[in-house]
Amino acid sequence: MWQVYLKELTELMRDRKTLIFVILLPIFIFPVIFGIMGLVLSSTTAKAMQEQHKYVIVNGEQAPEFAEALFYHKNFKKVETDLKDPAELIAAIRAGDFAVAVVIPDDFKDKQHAVEQSQWQLIYNQSSQLDFMSRYFNELLENYTGQLQRQSLSALGVDPVKLTAILKPVSVEKVDTAAKRENLGEKFGALIAYILIPLCLLGASYPAIDMGAGEKERGTLETLLICPVSRSAIVLGKFLTVLSTGLAGALITVASFGIWGAVIGSFAGFAVVQEAMGAISAPELLMIFLMIVPTSAIFASLLLAISIYAKTFKEAQNYMSPLTILMFVPLAAAMMPGVELTTKTALIPVMNVALAIKELIKGTADGGMIALIFGATVALAAALIAFCVHWFQQEKVLFR
Amino acid sequence: MIEIKNLQKAFSLTKSNKLSDTEKQDVRYSNKQFLSVRNVSFHCGPGEVLGLLGPNGAGKTTTLRMLSTALKPDDGSVLINGVDVLKEPVKARKQIGFLSADTGLYGKLTAYENIAYFGRLHGMKEAALKQRIDELFTMLNMHDFANRRADNMSTGMKQKTAIARAVVHSPKVVILDEPTTGLDIMTVQTVLDFIKGLKAAGTPVIFSTHHLDEVASLCDRVVVIDKGISAFSGSLAEFSALSADGDLRDAFLAVLQQQPTEQGAV
Repeated sequence: MWQVYLKELTELMRDRKTLIFVILLPIFIFPVIFGIMGLVLSSTTAKAMQEQHKYVIVNGEQAPEFAEALFYHKNFKKVETDLKDPAELIAAIRAGDFAVAVVIPDDFKDKQHAVEQSQWQLIYNQSSQLDFMSRYFNELLENYTGQLQRQSLSALGVDPVKLTAILKPVSVEKVDTAAKRENLGEKFGALIAYILIPLCLLGASYPAIDMGAGEKERGTLETLLICPVSRSAIVLGKFLTVLSTGLAGALITVASFGIWGAVIGSFAGFAVVQEAMGAISAPELLMIFLMIVPTSAIFASLLLAISIYAKTFKEAQNYMSPLTILMFVPLAAAMMPGVELTTKTALIPVMNVALAIKELIKGTADGGMIALIFGATVALAAALIAFCVHWFQQEKVLFR
Repeated sequence: MIEIKNLQKAFSLTKSNKLSDTEKQDVRYSNKQFLSVRNVSFHCGPGEVLGLLGPNGAGKTTTLRMLSTALKPDDGSVLINGVDVLKEPVKARKQIGFLSADTGLYGKLTAYENIAYFGRLHGMKEAALKQRIDELFTMLNMHDFANRRADNMSTGMKQKTAIARAVVHSPKVVILDEPTTGLDIMTVQTVLDFIKGLKAAGTPVIFSTHHLDEVASLCDRVVVIDKGISAFSGSLAEFSALSADGDLRDAFLAVLQQQPTEQGAV
């Protein structure tokens, strides 16, 4: 078994493709990807925040203070128009003449004097993901309505000192009981699992293909089979190699993430991140690693089984792509808000490990639950390895 | 000493494999399975070279794979020096050196590493392994490319490496599946000389081939397999006697022609 393992490792180390997949990709490409993503996102947000919105106002003379505030706001630019009908305004917005139309009813002042509610219309395209326009508008409107409220109440003879209490009877101050780490863990814990688990699969898939289908394609499998070594030993040797590369890929990724995180953190001064990451103790890191080991074993045996079955490299790759997609289903499920670690979710493969990693990073992990997940994952991995060994004894699989 | 009796092997067919018209005419196909080898028997004594002849798809490779324990026969027996291959496959494997037809090497490993890997899998000790590989390199004239990776070798170099790998553990029986196919004349000569060397050392060699001149120059015994049946098994002299003027080609064709009427002949 160790002979097989050693030989496969030597062969892999000499293979440039493996090195790229397992070592270079996580070290350099991921930080680059995330860096670019962050850059694009922040620059588009900044752009959206600074964007000037062309607007028209109908019956602006009914609310002169508001119209003036809107006119002087740096993100709004007034456009003159004669249109009044909402349908025409919509058409004009669709045509791109301006972005927003504020329609104030022509009896607004009268209703104001009679202390009656009146309805305004704000017409704009709401499909944008970054809707800063309506935020600015609401700020302006809130200021304006505040003024009106004070005017109306003063006119009704209310003591100006008591105005604040009347307008906002209750003010709530939120006190957070969650440690900073728990907060961050909830936000990023699932994300870390989301990156870590696919990397185990990614790092393992190329060597797995090479060791099963690749060996068939090269014609070395037959020679290997007739060596006086039991087939279980051959499978286990290959399995261990796949497992090692998967784990190596994941470990290197975590390390590169940590290092890049620290580098970027120290530049940008994300003290909170540093503090939270510092709070994760060595035993917890070890537990995260312990969770990853059986998960990688599951992937390794699945990949090896596929690879042994496939006749060629290409065929194996074709079978593996649906597996990759399938794996993202439980991962995505674990990321959904409101999904918590329960006895039920602890038994769903992959999802349970993702949830466990999240809990471990949050620092709120329950020992019994972690043990249950570890047990379930190990049991599944063992079953799959046994299947792999059985699979490797089948003539119809080996000589298809 | 190798003895094979009434070997039989069927492969089940999947539904997706539609049979072509020519395949339907082959008596070995039924609805459910393809009886690749129906009844093959022959034997080969110490120091004898046995040539396995037969058309493409006759069942030669399947027979040799069963001999080498890569496949398990459905019926029949294989005895190698008294060891039942079916009952004690691991023990039998130690005695067999097998070179398959479409054999390959690990491209990232050097010639030496390729051979050493299989030597170690056969449980050889490092010192003995080193000595044996050196011996084989001299025998096959391979010292020039001992440390070259298999990816960068020519076809001839690869085949030499593959042969050295097949016999690194000094097997009691050597089985070669089309060892000379696709090689240049010099390399073929090296391979044939190597087989002669094995023969001189008293090691029985079974090899399949399509080259009748190799059979004429090397073989003591000839077996012709056709449609999964050993249609002829006997000495080279008996084989050449099948044709009027002793021509092996005519003898081979004569065996194939008589075959349909004498099904099950041994």
